[in-house]
Amino acid sequence: MRNTTKKLRDHDNTWYLFLLPTILGLLLFTAYPILESFRLSFFKSNGTIEEFIGLQNYTYIFNNDLFWKTVWNTFYITFFQLLIGIPIAYIIACIINELKICKNFIKSLFFIPYITPVVASATVFLFVLHPSGLLNSFIGLFGVEPINWLLYPTTAQWGTIIFSNWQALGFYIIIILANLQSIPTELDKAAQVDGATKIQIWWHITTPLMKGTFRFLIIMGWISGLQRFSDVYVLGGAQGSPARSLFTIVGFIYERGFGSFEFGVASAAAYVLFAIIAIFTIVNMTLTNLKKEQ
Amino acid sequence: MKVKMTKREVPFNIISCIILLIIGLVMISPFIIMVIFSLERYANLQPPFPITFSIQEPSFFNFKIILENGDILTAYINSFIVAIGSVAINLFSVMLAGFAFSKGKFAGKKIMLAIILATMMIPFETRMIPMYLMFTKFGLKNNFLALILPSIVDGFGILLVKGFFDTIPDSLMEAAQIDGCNKWQIFIKIFVPFTGPIAATLIILKFMASWNSLLWPLVILTDKSKQTVPIFISSFATENGSRLAGSTMAAAFLGIIPVVLVFLLLQKHIIESIATTGLKE
Repeated sequence: MRNTTKKLRDHDNTWYLFLLPTILGLLLFTAYPILESFRLSFFKSNGTIEEFIGLQNYTYIFNNDLFWKTVWNTFYITFFQLLIGIPIAYIIACIINELKICKNFIKSLFFIPYITPVVASATVFLFVLHPSGLLNSFIGLFGVEPINWLLYPTTAQWGTIIFSNWQALGFYIIIILANLQSIPTELDKAAQVDGATKIQIWWHITTPLMKGTFRFLIIMGWISGLQRFSDVYVLGGAQGSPARSLFTIVGFIYERGFGSFEFGVASAAAYVLFAIIAIFTIVNMTLTNLKKEQ
Repeated sequence: MKVKMTKREVPFNIISCIILLIIGLVMISPFIIMVIFSLERYANLQPPFPITFSIQEPSFFNFKIILENGDILTAYINSFIVAIGSVAINLFSVMLAGFAFSKGKFAGKKIMLAIILATMMIPFETRMIPMYLMFTKFGLKNNFLALILPSIVDGFGILLVKGFFDTIPDSLMEAAQIDGCNKWQIFIKIFVPFTGPIAATLIILKFMASWNSLLWPLVILTDKSKQTVPIFISSFATENGSRLAGSTMAAAFLGIIPVVLVFLLLQKHIIESIATTGLKE
């Protein structure tokens, strides 16, 4: 009894004043827009005239080939980005971790693309992916014929994958490095005494310990990949050219919302995006958790 | 700098250093051609293909074209106003809330924190349309407040600040309370002076996020005089891209410079902030 009265006295309503800006912000810029967007997704609306149409926006989206194309494009680019980027970053980070010289300089070299504004670096990539641009000169060194990257759907998507890996590699490396440094060195030494080679230690001891880091990078990668917009907007324009191959889910929301002012359809698409992100996050978390327990 | 290496480590270090430097050079090569294109006098007439990594006729002509029409200067000023405003309002709100969640005792603390964390997962795109309609209704379309105000709520920042204040012992707070300080005085006089490193992290990350953002500015700022740097660059690139290669690259160059300068100055701190927070965007 005495405990509860003490607790009550400790509680102090002036704390809410400290939270006032956050609470106001949450109500105005989070709670209201989420509910309003949900409401709008059941209406035909151009911002002034509204009409309740039930689930029609959702059925429209699910029957819309272009929407499914944006889902496919978004998934395709993000999947290959992560599949290629994370292993490469892991190998580079492990080498950097062993380095004794010019460590920081190399870290910065890899990191600069990540901190440059996406719009500016994607603009530079218009000339990297140009038929006589940098990428073709580079692959030309290995005898590969020049490719007109931004002219064909598949190569445009791969150009975007190359761009986003170039851009995000430094981020993966920094995160992996930070986690590599937190691995206790005793394990390595014990294995070395047992006669294991460096490569064996790396593959059998270090790599399994990095599971949590990979999971983090995969989840973060999917969340930001599903919201891809800025880079494809520069590389492929608002239409996601060529042939809508760089048109993403967010591009679809943008076009329907602010190109043709179909706020109902755009809101429904935004909710579908929300659902996809939620499902992906949950699936990623449970899948990687299960493996950990086994 | 003295480096200790065993005999076996020397060849490994030299070889991997060379390999990584070559890959690193490939990584920054797009920036090298950006510099070359933007400084090449006739790049607007004839892009300097094939790529040679040398400048035939160096000149600032391409920059002059970009700067002469004045739009980029306006865009620069606009981007700075938005970034500084966002950082200020974000810091203010996040510091207060982080303090309350770390040291406060009040009803509903856990639930509120859980709600804030849950809302972090909701993508911005889901909120974008009602926010556009709301700001338009209040007459704030083409007003920088529409870009600045939403920074007031930031679950990630609150978590960061809360974590930081958690490391400061509660006894410090209790001692000050016994001395008769109220909460506000304790916050300003005792806790805020500690926040240097965490504030720097928040300022850097928030500034970069604001400087980079495209979608929301594109939606809310339709007036040409209100455009931010990313809008300017992307519209310049789509309008002139293949024709004015030199000036397009000069525009990208000018958009990158402030961020790269900040990075070179605060390299260590930025890398550390991103490594510890794991923040992307």
